[in-house]
Amino acid sequence: MYGADKNFFQSGDFMWRRIKKGLEVRIGLEDLVNTKLKRYTVPRNTNIFYTLGGVALAAFIIQALTGFFLLIYYVPHSDHAFRSVQQIMTSVPFGWLFRLMHVVGANLIVAVVFLHMLSVFFMGSYKKPRELTWIAGWLMLLVVLTFSLSGNLLPWSQLSYWTTTVVTAMPTAFPYVGDYIANVLRGGEFVSGVTLNRFFALHVALLPPVFVLFLVVHIFLIRRIGLSSPPFGEQTAGSGEWNEYRHVSYPDGYSFYPYFVLKELYMVLAYLVVMFFVITFVPTLFLPQGANIPADPLKTPAYIKPQWYFLAPYQMLKLIPNKFLGISIQLLLLAMFILWPFFDTGRERNILKRPLLLVAFLASLLLWIVLTVWGRTS
Amino acid sequence: MKRRKFLKSLLALLGSTTLVSFAYPLVRFIAPPSKKAEVKRLSLSKGDIPAGEAREVVFNNTPAIVINRPGKGYIALSKVCTHLGCLVEFNKEKARLICPCHAGEFSLDGKVLSGPPPKPLAEFPLRVEGESIIIG
Repeated sequence: MYGADKNFFQSGDFMWRRIKKGLEVRIGLEDLVNTKLKRYTVPRNTNIFYTLGGVALAAFIIQALTGFFLLIYYVPHSDHAFRSVQQIMTSVPFGWLFRLMHVVGANLIVAVVFLHMLSVFFMGSYKKPRELTWIAGWLMLLVVLTFSLSGNLLPWSQLSYWTTTVVTAMPTAFPYVGDYIANVLRGGEFVSGVTLNRFFALHVALLPPVFVLFLVVHIFLIRRIGLSSPPFGEQTAGSGEWNEYRHVSYPDGYSFYPYFVLKELYMVLAYLVVMFFVITFVPTLFLPQGANIPADPLKTPAYIKPQWYFLAPYQMLKLIPNKFLGISIQLLLLAMFILWPFFDTGRERNILKRPLLLVAFLASLLLWIVLTVWGRTS
Repeated sequence: MKRRKFLKSLLALLGSTTLVSFAYPLVRFIAPPSKKAEVKRLSLSKGDIPAGEAREVVFNNTPAIVINRPGKGYIALSKVCTHLGCLVEFNKEKARLICPCHAGEFSLDGKVLSGPPPKPLAEFPLRVEGESIIIG
């Protein structure tokens, strides 16, 4: 028996070596690994916040895979959508697992991307020459939020229906074109089966390639310019005047592979721990009351609230008495955050040496938290 | 004209023609179907709505409410909140129509009393003929 096992492993090892040799001859595998992974170095003082981009990528892959599994049973029709989702949860073997992974993942990915953006902001990594990397990141966040809005309608529940009604009515704040835009989004005057088809097509066919496109641009820019180092440690490669292109490298840094990849892997596993903790102990955390009642276009329930990450804008809309003003302020704030690197052009990256920016940063964060909690409890 | 310039101009012409050829059908394809003017009428019995009460109906595909206002008679209003499209609820105790989404409040005449709605609720034409209430 032992001999048979040994032969098996030996033949497996032999096969693996043959595959590697085959790839080496054809694509220069070793050179590729050496130049793109091992000799590609990251600053020695990177912290765990540097792994959040990789975690977000892993989270997106999990969403894509679980989304594909759900597509096998989901029926994108207003007469069948709710029932098909209920069947996935109750009748399809382990359907509940993939649905909950998708639902919980849809919320966690937003949290990860938020944290990623916050850490990039805090470390001043958006500054020249990385403005485009910042914008590509923002565009990905917007795509993630659009994923969330479009995916939210697909279960065709009361929660889905009425949150979509509110979101698709937002363009009506703008005179002349607002109503037309809202009608294009809905495919009619009200949210209906036509809206479901539109959002389904958007969610599964248009948004994934758009996200991948921005991701490719984002990663290309990171590799092309080079990773930024934290402004708090010793390494300051890339600082100083930036009048012509140069690649920022860290000859004394850690190898991307295996050191940084392992760090990322730990964080991806931590992400999965959080996901499965929620699925196991608080499975309804992101599935409130209205998520389990079929859509009724003639009855707006009293308990409708948007997802946690839209609670702050939701509360703002409640507080600002003018619809046009409320939505315009939010769009202006969004544009300001996206274009922030072009406003903040000073060379100092260390936020601890910029008390005004630090206070503004903390005050904005606090305001967002207060509005979120207020929106939840009001 | 040099050959290279001619080819560049031709490419620009063909490219923009192709773009426009697809852009127009795409816009028409995505645009919602034009709204058909509905002229249906809806008839209710006066006995169905005692004074101070209301009845929910669907009029020309729009959720609506017919209210019997004490001392002021009947009124037919759209239930669609003018803020962000949620449906208002009739609150008998407060004698108001309240939107559950962003807390907009309307009087029983449809006028905005508080909250973010920018304009009154849409009112539908209504008349009383004998024992019938006719909307539309």
